[in-house]
Amino acid sequence: MKFLYRRIITYIIVLFAVINITFFLPRFAPGNAADIIAGATRLPNEASKIIATRFGLDQPLSTQYFDFLKNVFLTWPPYLGVSYNYFPATVTQLFAVRVGWTMLLILASIGVGEFVTYFMAAFSAMRRGGKFEIGSLYSSIMFNSIPLFWLSMILLYVFSIVLGWFPIFGATGFSPGSGVNYYLDVIWHAVLPVAALSLSVIGESFLIMRGSMQEVLKSDYVLAAKSRGLSNWILSSRYVLRNSMLPLVAVISFSLASLISREVLVEVIFGYPGIGDLLVDAILGRDFPVLQGSLLLTTIMVIAGGIVGDIILTRLDPRLKK
Amino acid sequence: MASIKPKRGVVSRFLVSKAAKFGAAIIIVIVGFILLGPFFIHTKPDAVSGLPNRPPSPAHPFGTDYQGHDVMSQVVFGAYPTLIWGLIAAIGATALGFVAGLFGGYYGRLEVLVSGATDVVLSFPSLILLITVGAIFEASDWLIAVVLILILWATGARAIRAQVSSVKNFAYVDAAKTSGLTDWQIVWRIIAPEVGSIAIAYFVLIVSVSIVLAAGVEFLGVGNLSEVSWGSILYFAQQYGFFAGDWWWVLAPGLLLALTAMGFALIGFSFEEILNPRLRK
Repeated sequence: MKFLYRRIITYIIVLFAVINITFFLPRFAPGNAADIIAGATRLPNEASKIIATRFGLDQPLSTQYFDFLKNVFLTWPPYLGVSYNYFPATVTQLFAVRVGWTMLLILASIGVGEFVTYFMAAFSAMRRGGKFEIGSLYSSIMFNSIPLFWLSMILLYVFSIVLGWFPIFGATGFSPGSGVNYYLDVIWHAVLPVAALSLSVIGESFLIMRGSMQEVLKSDYVLAAKSRGLSNWILSSRYVLRNSMLPLVAVISFSLASLISREVLVEVIFGYPGIGDLLVDAILGRDFPVLQGSLLLTTIMVIAGGIVGDIILTRLDPRLKK
Repeated sequence: MASIKPKRGVVSRFLVSKAAKFGAAIIIVIVGFILLGPFFIHTKPDAVSGLPNRPPSPAHPFGTDYQGHDVMSQVVFGAYPTLIWGLIAAIGATALGFVAGLFGGYYGRLEVLVSGATDVVLSFPSLILLITVGAIFEASDWLIAVVLILILWATGARAIRAQVSSVKNFAYVDAAKTSGLTDWQIVWRIIAPEVGSIAIAYFVLIVSVSIVLAAGVEFLGVGNLSEVSWGSILYFAQQYGFFAGDWWWVLAPGLLLALTAMGFALIGFSFEEILNPRLRK
């Protein structure tokens, strides 16, 4: 269980670090929150004092810190402050509406991306050094390195603005209908963002799958299977791929952090109403509570996904249990 | 030490060298374009030199933006901050990763610390951290570079640490120890040169990532937008021209950014492929 312990300790440190960054960052930033709210609404100076009292900003730092921890961990739903831009709404309320769309994009693109990667890797393993492998390799390097936000802009331009096949923004239309029509509308709106994200998932995972597959291909049991005269397809699907699955699961859980980062950019381009879209509004409106909350929430998503991935990994690979 | 010599299949050697050549060719063409460009382009990137929002024409090969700036001039002059800051971040991240990997791999007591720290950094949603820090502090180029260094050192450190902890068991390290070299001398004189090539491979890969990340946060409006760079060009394009159909404003800077990142990634990939101990068998 050493592996799991290690991962859990890592997650605890990550969470602790993010909590502290979330708390201290805005308190060291130029200007205080009360002035910013008061300034934004052009209230007189006394107002900023009232606001400071209202949000507890006149309390000593230690009191604020423990109040903050209490609000995050011991309150349900967790209280992350009030948004400056959408004033009466709390950050938690804003997230609750949007987190589902973000999850949809992430899960769909992991599903599509890893599915395609699996078959690309299988066909590549069947004919080593063939045109298919070289093509997959070059396109993976390309999709892994080029800026995803630019790729998304090009996709949006070609397929939505010029060809008009897909919507320009949003997760649903203005009147999405109900039942099957609703789901079709959601899928239609998700096609381009999921396609863009999947391409980058494929780029990242194929390179790792290929590396681990090379190792597996050189192993004795593959040689033995080959000499028994098994077909290429059975060889690659049963012997090679199954043993290359471990790194694939590992890469999903390890790359979640970077996937969520990229997902934010994709949401912005496609005007998709998830956390990323909210985050960018928060940058422009200097909405600090939302900014901090996004950092905390995305970290928690990464950790949750990571724990699921790690548990699957220990199930798949009994060596990790020792 | 037969295992040190790379013994590779013809196909993969062919592939590797071809990818490296392809990547180097891309980088050389782009660097040439950027270095020679200023001699031929006489419009300043912030000078109004034509009608706004015009598609490419002989006078403005990449078109003009919403204020009538020449996009080609912006792309050429905007390359400098993009590439220079990307290189600064990559140099810092590689140096930090190299030192952390060396010491973490060699000294058993530091191993837990270094590998724990890399795990923590790799599980961070780094872009969102960069955005939050950048937005709250109204980031300068330096602040973005420093945060990038703190994010990007971990991948290199992990690879170098793994390599160091296998190298340190080789017979010549024992020989050095018995001949009376101190740990410090062994780390710097004997082990560092062994893993230096991995550091170079990671440096090239990190350049590719840092340029794209820095442009990505600028694209979101975080960072120094008053300076013309590929990221800020794309930011203004997204804000003021893209949805009206000004494709040329997005195409040229983005394509150069993509090609640069891909060129470095191809070179880094080839290096890594040659050096990766797992693939050497």
